[in-house]
Amino acid sequence: MPAILVPTEKWAGKVREVTLGGDSRKKVVVGGETTLPFLHFDGVIPHAPAIAIDVEDVAPQNWSPVLGAVWGDVMREGLAAWARKAVEAGADMVALTLRSADPDMGNTGPAEAVEAVKKVLAAVDVPLIVYGPGIAAKDNEVLVAVSDAFAGKRLALGLCEDKNYRTIVATCMANGHIVIANSPIDINLAKQLNILITDMDMPGDRILMDPTTGALGYGLEYTYSVMERLRVAALLGDSMTAMPMILNPGREGWRFKEAKTRDGVPTQWGDLEGRGIAWETTTAIAQLQAGADILVMRHPKAVGLVKRAIASLMATNY
Amino acid sequence: MSKYIATAAIRGSHAIVLEAEKTLSQAIKELGPDTPVAFTNTAYFLPTIYGYTGTKVQTLGDMVPIMEKARSFLAPVPADRLWLPYLGETLDAGVATLFAEEIIMGVRFVRGEQPERMPLNGIKVQTSEVSGAFTSPDEEVGAGRAAAAQSNGHYTLNGPIDDIQLRTWGIQLVDGRMPGFAAIVGCAKSNEVAVRIVRELQRRGILIFLCGNVNGRSIIHQLLEEGVQLGYDTYTVPFGTDTVSAIYPLGFATRSALTFGGMTGGQARDILLYNKNRVFAFVLALGEVDDLKYATAAGAITYGFPVIADTLIPQILPTGITTYEHVVSMPFDEIEGKDDLERADRLVERCIEVRGVKIRMAQVDIPVAYGSAFEGEIIRRDAMLAEFGGKGGITFEYLKMADSEDVQDGRVELEGPDLDTFKEGANVPLGIVVEVAGRKMQKDFESVLERQIHHMINGAEGVQHIGQRDIAWVRIAKGSYQRGFRLRHLGSILHAKLHADYSAIVDKVQVKIYTNKAKVEELREVARGVYNERNIKTANLTDESVDTFYSCTLCQSFAPSHVCIINPERVGLCGAYNWLDCKASYELNPTGPNQPIAKKGLISAEKGEWESANQFLYQHSNSTFNRLTLYSVMDAPMTACGCFECIMMLIPEANGFMVVSREDTGMTPAGMAFSTLAGVAGGGQQSPGMMGHGKYYLVSKKFIPKEGGLKRVVWMSANLKESMESELREACQRIGEPGLIDKIADGRNATTVEQLMAFLEEVGHPALTMESLI
Ligand code: SF4
Ligand code: SF4
Repeated sequence: MPAILVPTEKWAGKVREVTLGGDSRKKVVVGGETTLPFLHFDGVIPHAPAIAIDVEDVAPQNWSPVLGAVWGDVMREGLAAWARKAVEAGADMVALTLRSADPDMGNTGPAEAVEAVKKVLAAVDVPLIVYGPGIAAKDNEVLVAVSDAFAGKRLALGLCEDKNYRTIVATCMANGHIVIANSPIDINLAKQLNILITDMDMPGDRILMDPTTGALGYGLEYTYSVMERLRVAALLGDSMTAMPMILNPGREGWRFKEAKTRDGVPTQWGDLEGRGIAWETTTAIAQLQAGADILVMRHPKAVGLVKRAIASLMATNY
Repeated sequence: MSKYIATAAIRGSHAIVLEAEKTLSQAIKELGPDTPVAFTNTAYFLPTIYGYTGTKVQTLGDMVPIMEKARSFLAPVPADRLWLPYLGETLDAGVATLFAEEIIMGVRFVRGEQPERMPLNGIKVQTSEVSGAFTSPDEEVGAGRAAAAQSNGHYTLNGPIDDIQLRTWGIQLVDGRMPGFAAIVGCAKSNEVAVRIVRELQRRGILIFLCGNVNGRSIIHQLLEEGVQLGYDTYTVPFGTDTVSAIYPLGFATRSALTFGGMTGGQARDILLYNKNRVFAFVLALGEVDDLKYATAAGAITYGFPVIADTLIPQILPTGITTYEHVVSMPFDEIEGKDDLERADRLVERCIEVRGVKIRMAQVDIPVAYGSAFEGEIIRRDAMLAEFGGKGGITFEYLKMADSEDVQDGRVELEGPDLDTFKEGANVPLGIVVEVAGRKMQKDFESVLERQIHHMINGAEGVQHIGQRDIAWVRIAKGSYQRGFRLRHLGSILHAKLHADYSAIVDKVQVKIYTNKAKVEELREVARGVYNERNIKTANLTDESVDTFYSCTLCQSFAPSHVCIINPERVGLCGAYNWLDCKASYELNPTGPNQPIAKKGLISAEKGEWESANQFLYQHSNSTFNRLTLYSVMDAPMTACGCFECIMMLIPEANGFMVVSREDTGMTPAGMAFSTLAGVAGGGQQSPGMMGHGKYYLVSKKFIPKEGGLKRVVWMSANLKESMESELREACQRIGEPGLIDKIADGRNATTVEQLMAFLEEVGHPALTMESLI
């Protein structure tokens, strides 16, 4: 076969490197790309995209039965067991959601939040992402407590949105953590939030960007087009879009009926387990191709498939 | 710089440095240089010194070089005949003072003299004080504390704010939940005034630090005598009864910068700027200001914290180190007000203004619910208690900018009868005058803010608002009236919402509401005069008269490469944003979607092409487009996102353009209806010969001037002709083609090119004989 001359592109920009964890625990570095995803001939991709696995501080009520089947035992056993099993399933990091702080899920406070984080940190030594319950006022309450209690552990804390960014950023600055800046599928809002955060003197290498995931069939195309545009802008030299991206294909991929409903769906849809795993995997792989640096996932088989994809995409000898 | 202040501050700094030197050498002699020094419950050493110099003072001996440094900052006290700009020397003296004070405090800690135990001398401490949690070492809190104080005759004041509390408050200062802090030094005119000042500050969520005295009496005594609860829980921290204790607030400010600003000791400049820009603190000096107070104030000014005194002292008004004035004198007895309490209110208001503290309105305080959910509410005639305006009614709304002295924030006045007196279903005259003061307020923003009255008032449950200016129409539901809604609540809504949504430009708001027919009519004439002036001004606001255009990239979420560039003579293509809106929006939200583009590097005046606009477009269109002309549709026209009110498109046969309105669902001579055209033009494309635009662009003097303006329009949606008839006729008149509008075809007489051409020939449309477009 004749050799094909691959046209290459020289980019001026570079994605920032962000280090999670450390402080006598395992470290994971993400970002640092000088080219579009997996185009090794164009630039360097110093770190493979990382995978985090979701765990929650109370057994989730509305997760798909498929997830219930794989995690059910550890959900009952408790956070420590769940986190350990996540790492066994291949997680590079653990993403803990402080669900019990949700006013409808127990409305627990700072003390419980700190306790939950302590358990996970004791059970595993990978970096930890901590999400609040997703209600800005409660997020502030529990994340600030966690941030104070685990100063220096370089946790990633989120979500940090335009509503509450000042609080989360201030506490991350005070305690050496990383913020997860979340914006609603919009390149300009994503960039604006990064500007606002860095305006508070937060160093750019302690920001992860979450441009919001739409799952396959539920806005995935919006997600990846925004991701691509963010990444192209970063590579063109825009430092305010050059943060590594973190996405949640697990949470989104398992949210809809395609990944939840066993009965009353067309037979062509096939069995629920395979369908759900495919849904999460497809969502995740599309995001990899659009520049995701961290994927927060749920099903071990989907994790396995995505890890395989990452390994082959990172292989430079093709 | 006032020579008087400079002299006093420098004199004060000499004295305190000398005192600190004595205190320190005495302590070293008695206790030895290795004696450890620490402020309790904090991990920032002596924080002001650490922040300024990076030196971690841990022993008495460590203080010696700092003391030397302080001494080296001291300039000689200015001699009588010398006249120099003293600012630099005075600020240095201030810093030396802070070092000296902190050293004195450090030594006092070593000697167990801090936190200060204040003799009660008969003051009764309220035993009801259960929540006054201090964290000074070994202190009981709450009732026990009060009892202990009573029995041993001492009331223990707070030492430095401990690190836990620092985190709690520091984060609130950064994220804006806490608007700022006030360091009160001295003693108020009376106990009553002291209490009022503190209450006014508390009401706004401002943290209060108390220190100092005048002739032995401190505001701390005053507050305790009046039974005011002091402590962390009530945002009031009594630090000490001498001026030296004013070092604690500054230590607190330094530590918040170190904690939340990501700085380390020694980054003096960053720490000071951080405080200037993010920590809205000020010093309120009550009573006589002596040399040491001047010297300490000079230290506070280095942090960007201004000083407001309630006595007659020289002022330092020019800004520079602080955001606004440095030192403001407001002699208490000369403040306008019917009594001392009102004077106290004014004093607090002035403090807030001088520091630029932004007060957040937590909620709209009205007896009915408030929220955007109620905006679309319709109130039927049989459900309404009264209406204002509408058919045959008399109303107006007028928002004007006023001087700060003339606006009392939050004041709402009603002149005329209120809802209680109206017959059910009555139509009553209504005039609303809103006066807004703000450092960043501009005359041009009046109309921008005035237009918000509509949706602000509409947000109240059971209140319906339509229109604006002198065609406003308001209905109030019986249900809302029964729940206590009165006309003054319209004012409360406007006050709260203007603060909440426009705090960047609005500092103070007062509202006057009129319901007397004669008065409303009289004031409506005044308002009409202003509306008219504004109309003329807007009409005269030309592209040539400004040096900046604005961008709008709001639509990029859907059309990634779309950038609206908005000049005074062209609205954004959605019709919703004009140049003034963008200007105001930029002021409100400097990192938002409306950015200024300086008119620079003119390439072609005829086509309206500037280097700077081209560059902006390139940078913000994802590098998709690199040229844009503002005055031509044939060459690099504005991109079109999709939300344009109209599309114009070249009809080559007619040598002109058709303009199709979004509301027109019919066929056009181009063989495509609006929806198809929108698909062709939209998505952020630049299509020569085709352009989206706002409908009012049609009557702009800058309507495609390169191609010849309105004369090029050969076809127009009938609804545009109807809804804008008078404006269009006027524009035709202006260009010397009074009959033009009747020569423009529409869907009623032409939906094919053939029909169009026949019509144009018949009426003799000017485009037919104009220079060829292609
Ligand atoms: S169409 Fe309107 S909202 Fe959209 S970018 Fe233009 S001015 Fe902004
Ligand atoms: S026009 Fe389209 S892109 Fe512009 S705001 Fe409306 S829907 Fe949007």
